[in-house]
Amino acid sequence: MSKTMTDMEYLKEILESQNLADDSAELKRLMEQRKDVERILRDAFPDCSPTIRYGGSKAKGTLIKEAYDLDLACYFPHDDETAGSSLEDIYNNVAKALEKEYSVLRKRSALRLRDKDEVDFRIDVVPGRFTDDKKQDCYLHQEAGDKKWLKTNLDVHITHVRDSERLDAIRLLKLWKTRKALGVKQFAFELLIIKLLEGSRKSLPDQLKHVWTELRDRDEPVPVEDPANPAGNDLADLLNTQVWSELSSVAADTLLTLDANGWEAVFGKVPTDSGKTASLLAAAASVSVRTKPWCG
Amino acid sequence: MRNSQEAISADLRELERTIRERYPDLRLVIENGRPAFRGSFPIVHDSHELDRFLVDISFPEGIKRLPIIREIGGRIPRTTARHTFVGGGICTEVPELTLLREDYSLLSYLGGPVRNYFIGQSLVEQGKPWPFGEWDHGKEGLLQAYGDVLGVTGELVIRRYLDYLGHKKVKGHWLCPCGSGNQIRQCHLAIVRRLQEVVPPRIARQALERLNKYS
Repeated sequence: MSKTMTDMEYLKEILESQNLADDSAELKRLMEQRKDVERILRDAFPDCSPTIRYGGSKAKGTLIKEAYDLDLACYFPHDDETAGSSLEDIYNNVAKALEKEYSVLRKRSALRLRDKDEVDFRIDVVPGRFTDDKKQDCYLHQEAGDKKWLKTNLDVHITHVRDSERLDAIRLLKLWKTRKALGVKQFAFELLIIKLLEGSRKSLPDQLKHVWTELRDRDEPVPVEDPANPAGNDLADLLNTQVWSELSSVAADTLLTLDANGWEAVFGKVPTDSGKTASLLAAAASVSVRTKPWCG
Repeated sequence: MRNSQEAISADLRELERTIRERYPDLRLVIENGRPAFRGSFPIVHDSHELDRFLVDISFPEGIKRLPIIREIGGRIPRTTARHTFVGGGICTEVPELTLLREDYSLLSYLGGPVRNYFIGQSLVEQGKPWPFGEWDHGKEGLLQAYGDVLGVTGELVIRRYLDYLGHKKVKGHWLCPCGSGNQIRQCHLAIVRRLQEVVPPRIARQALERLNKYS
């Protein structure tokens, strides 16, 4: 961070460095994978034409380079049972279809795709079933928790986040969460950020400080509601006391770091991709103790 | 006198302070009573951040011993070709070579072999070779690495040298590890003496044990 750069300018540069252009290698790879996933699903369920569409950070505008992934909703018509009669059947049958070509990690409602060497393709497939012909609300199976299903609405989620006017704060806090390897689910974290910043007219640096201060100072988790189903979906488990405690202690540390050493101590040097290979080679050339990897 | 629990906590606190000063995103987590550092490991060169890898650093043999480091971002294939174990453990180098360095500490390990390893992974992703080469896998790699340190070749010779270096004293009438059949005092005693200054008996025995796992 140069001496003439303001906090706002620095944070904007960090945000800029986390952009993924549509023609970036990373997104191109994701798009190719998406085609494959869609082909597998359409081949596996040829008679019920599932609706396959983007959800997650790509649709919401919260994508960052260090934690980019693709949520692919795969929703089946409400009156079709060829993919499974129950939500759990649908979840399992979609998983089985994907397992023919991927290693599938079964998450709460999503299926994470990896290759046989455990490389993460950064794609979550979310199977579900529309509640009716309007194809808006949807039921999802839940692997964890007391309730085995939930009702949700992708468009409501996307709109809630995308139109929150907090995208910069969300993206920077997502970067913070990623780098600190915090366990909080991104879905709940985004809702929490929006709630904590409700009505705020603070600058971006102050928004971040405000969120960390709230996380640090509140003893109990702040309850958040699923905008797609406020009364029906209990998100308390996603922000339980354990998750909150972790967020709280790391936020406290971050505020101390910020006070003592400024923003660059929190988000580091602005990452650069230009001339990356040459810079890596230069970094290697300047190493004093050269070591070679081995595998036992 | 402080009890051992307090002593461990004080050591850990000191380690945490040291690590966070250099790597602010690596945070201490205690799970099931066991400490680990977890977070993003940056590659910085000339004040430029070139890349980052998400890691988990655990200490199955205690915080003063070599840790196990796993890449947890799902970025590096879990294959021997990319020098990772199933589960994500990274193989930075032959462990005994790390331990031979006088200034071994977690900080020096992270700034040396670990940083080199991730620079290598980042380059390999871009189709470049490992910047300093790589040892073969398994026993062959161990023999290459130990042979490199000892300045000898051949499994039997390397084993004999390690065996001798594993003793506190080497007697002059012993047969030379080079295999000449001469007494060591009439053959490679000077080299063995020099190696004794470089390779402590504990590390020589550890190296031999590691080789024996492949027998």
